[in-house]
Amino acid sequence: MSGLIGPEGGPAPGATGVRFGFFTDSSICIGCKACEVACKEWNGVPDHPLDFTANSYDNTGTLGANAWRHVAFVEQGTTTSGRGGNGPGAGAADFRWLMSSDVCKHCSSPACLEVCPTGALFTTEFGTVVVQDDVCNGCGYCVTACPFGVIERRESDGGAWKCTMCYDRMRGAREPACAQACPTDSIQFGPLDELRVRASARLAEVVAAGEERAQLYGHDQTDGVGGTGALFLLLDDPEVYRLPPDPVTPTRRLARMWAMAGAAAGALAALLAGSLAGGTGGGRHR
Amino acid sequence: MPVAASHPTLSDYITYGTAGKGFWGNTGAYLTSLLKAWWGDAATADNDYCYGHLPRLTGDHSAYRTALDMLDGKVEGYLLFGENPAVGSANSRLHRLALAQLDWLVVRDLGEIESATFWRDGPEIEAGELRTEGIATEVFLLPAAAHTEKDGSFTNTERLLQWHTKAVEPAGDCRSDLWFCFHLGRILREKLAMSSERRDRSLLDLTWDYPTEGPLAEPSAAAVLAEINGCDADGRPLDGYGRLADDGSTSCGCWIYAGCYADGVNQTARRRPGQGPSGVAPDWGWAWPDNRRILYNRASAAPDGTPWSQRKRYVWWDGASGRWTGHDRPDFVVDREPDHVPAPHARGVAALGGCDPFLLQADGKGWLYAPDGLADGPLPAHYEPHESPVGNPLYRQRANPARRRFPHAANPSGPGDGPGAGDDRRYPFVTTTYRIAEHHTAGGMSRFQRRLSELAREMFVEVHPELAALRGLERGGWATIVTSRSAIEARVLVTERMAPLEVGGRRLHQVGLPYHWGHGGLAPGDAANDLFPIVVDPNVTIQEVKAATCDIVAGRRPRGAALRPFVESHARPRDTSPSGDENAGVPAPFPHQNGAVGG
Repeated sequence: MSGLIGPEGGPAPGATGVRFGFFTDSSICIGCKACEVACKEWNGVPDHPLDFTANSYDNTGTLGANAWRHVAFVEQGTTTSGRGGNGPGAGAADFRWLMSSDVCKHCSSPACLEVCPTGALFTTEFGTVVVQDDVCNGCGYCVTACPFGVIERRESDGGAWKCTMCYDRMRGAREPACAQACPTDSIQFGPLDELRVRASARLAEVVAAGEERAQLYGHDQTDGVGGTGALFLLLDDPEVYRLPPDPVTPTRRLARMWAMAGAAAGALAALLAGSLAGGTGGGRHR
Repeated sequence: MPVAASHPTLSDYITYGTAGKGFWGNTGAYLTSLLKAWWGDAATADNDYCYGHLPRLTGDHSAYRTALDMLDGKVEGYLLFGENPAVGSANSRLHRLALAQLDWLVVRDLGEIESATFWRDGPEIEAGELRTEGIATEVFLLPAAAHTEKDGSFTNTERLLQWHTKAVEPAGDCRSDLWFCFHLGRILREKLAMSSERRDRSLLDLTWDYPTEGPLAEPSAAAVLAEINGCDADGRPLDGYGRLADDGSTSCGCWIYAGCYADGVNQTARRRPGQGPSGVAPDWGWAWPDNRRILYNRASAAPDGTPWSQRKRYVWWDGASGRWTGHDRPDFVVDREPDHVPAPHARGVAALGGCDPFLLQADGKGWLYAPDGLADGPLPAHYEPHESPVGNPLYRQRANPARRRFPHAANPSGPGDGPGAGDDRRYPFVTTTYRIAEHHTAGGMSRFQRRLSELAREMFVEVHPELAALRGLERGGWATIVTSRSAIEARVLVTERMAPLEVGGRRLHQVGLPYHWGHGGLAPGDAANDLFPIVVDPNVTIQEVKAATCDIVAGRRPRGAALRPFVESHARPRDTSPSGDENAGVPAPFPHQNGAVGG
């Protein structure tokens, strides 16, 4: 572990101006949901209203105002694939149970922050994205802007809520609650540059072990959100985990949209000018 | 524990517990030291070290036998410490009926568990089988302190003792089990102080002088551990069970724990992680016996004392020093040469040869063939479960003949070993129970916690898509699971994980049930253990709740007084269908198949 991490697992005192993040290695997630519980305990997140989803062991459903960590359970394939055989596990090689703990991506280009009209969302000294509830006016622009569907307004107070990467803990030199609670270190916390290197090395390992569809998610800094502060190692395509394959910060298109709008306005003006000129020049032909 | 008829004197009991060879040869030292730890100065050679004070076994006192006796009105009172039989024991319905026959019941738990509320809101109240006014049981619910609210030790299955220290004082009236036991004993002794009855001596002679601390007068858990560790005649802590004597000069509350408080230091509180590549962490906690991390580790070396594998070497003979050495504490007589041959008539530890690593076996060897000690030996064998839809492919004997069945009207079973055992049309599927990560055993520590309950709120049943189609079960809908004991309802989780088995020439479907739910708490639900019979293995009386035959139908179970008739009607014999029918043996759909019935 680098000198940027202190004895309590959080940012070392001197680690200012360093971007921190998560690396969630789903290949070793066991689906215990300790991250969900630790997050709710530390952050005082209210119960969420779902009861029984009948969707594997996932009763959380999605990330939202009242679920800042969400463990996805994906059942792939079949156990009765016509291979016959006897006893439990016959044909089981065609089946697998994937688990992955999802969280706010803490994007390099955070759409939520860019559309926020009040400045309630800000980038911290650790490069993470946090909502200030006392500034948030509940307009909900961030909710529609987030390409991952992470941030959400809470029914009870109207404010927008999401993972803070335990900003308060980080300021106290502690690692986020989910990372500390994770019994397998599927959730790792650290300086993002180090995590990016670690994630690439782990991917090579996992692929070499036969997981040919394994891939990193959020690692590509040229993607539509400029890469994320929360990296994931997935064992299959993002869609399998209900993650968007090509997330884009909507405001990224602003310049092009304004340019296009400008071009359209120019074209309209030219057309108008032309039509006016034509009007004076000699009538319309129908 | 001594049996009344067989072990009238300490000498009888020691003879019964002593092996000719190995460390069970010292049973006399272990027992005498135990009696000295409990009765202190009152225990002398003249009075058999107060052996007469020990309670005696007069029959089967196991938990399941006791529950059946309770049901038959033979048990007056019962103390439940952190146990919830109304949910967690096989045939939990029977346990609720049994608790209702007690005069008094003490429940110590973290919350108001089902075993404390069966008289008020149990399923039998709803079904009209029991009426609250008709239950005479006086229930004392005493709130217990959690592990974070008290000092003490955990002992893991790997034999590791790890000390934990109180983080906060228990809230309100919550108290530790240690507090309860100590002060109960103290008050009883005070009440009996003037007694001259002989029967009261066992209580009055006890060493019951643990120091207390803090505002709640909490007994010192460390003092109890020190007593368990034991001491010599001068009061010095023992450093291991090798020091125990049978002449009353040593005391020790549990011989395999001798050494956990060596040098007067709580060895279980040590927290030094493992160093080096061996993976052994001898200074983290303390392992019984003698801080040995792997039992019988002399077997990691060949008969000549050299490691079987240099790469994986663990404990080996060091000829230069004439001692066993290695990464772990050698679990052997430390200076016994590998080629040592004991004298012909040697007994006890002296009878162990250099090649007898299994110190607690009567011949020092590992056993595959076990002619002694097992109720169903001498060799491992395959038996079908007590209730199984198929015969035994290996033997004519279908299920373990030594299993214990506890016949009782409230504990019925499938057809047993008779003809047709493998072809019960009433219960064509197999149900199994297990745990999920979100809840803890019978739910006393999880279904009363918001954070855990919201992760798994509802009792559910897991079925394969084929079984769901066969029975018309809807994903997320309700299903009723019925056995000859009872019927419960659960939400339907359709999953490929619940793969059908190909056995006995047919496709056999499994019905998966987590067993954490009961009628109380923040996440109530029907108890899976209602479906299982009390049938236990003959050696350690473990319940068979991994397999039973069942049926499953769509919809919620009948409510109220309609429940028992439903269970009983399902138990009536059915006609067999002509063979070749895919659904042969599947009973006709029930009236309530597509929705709730009754009120």
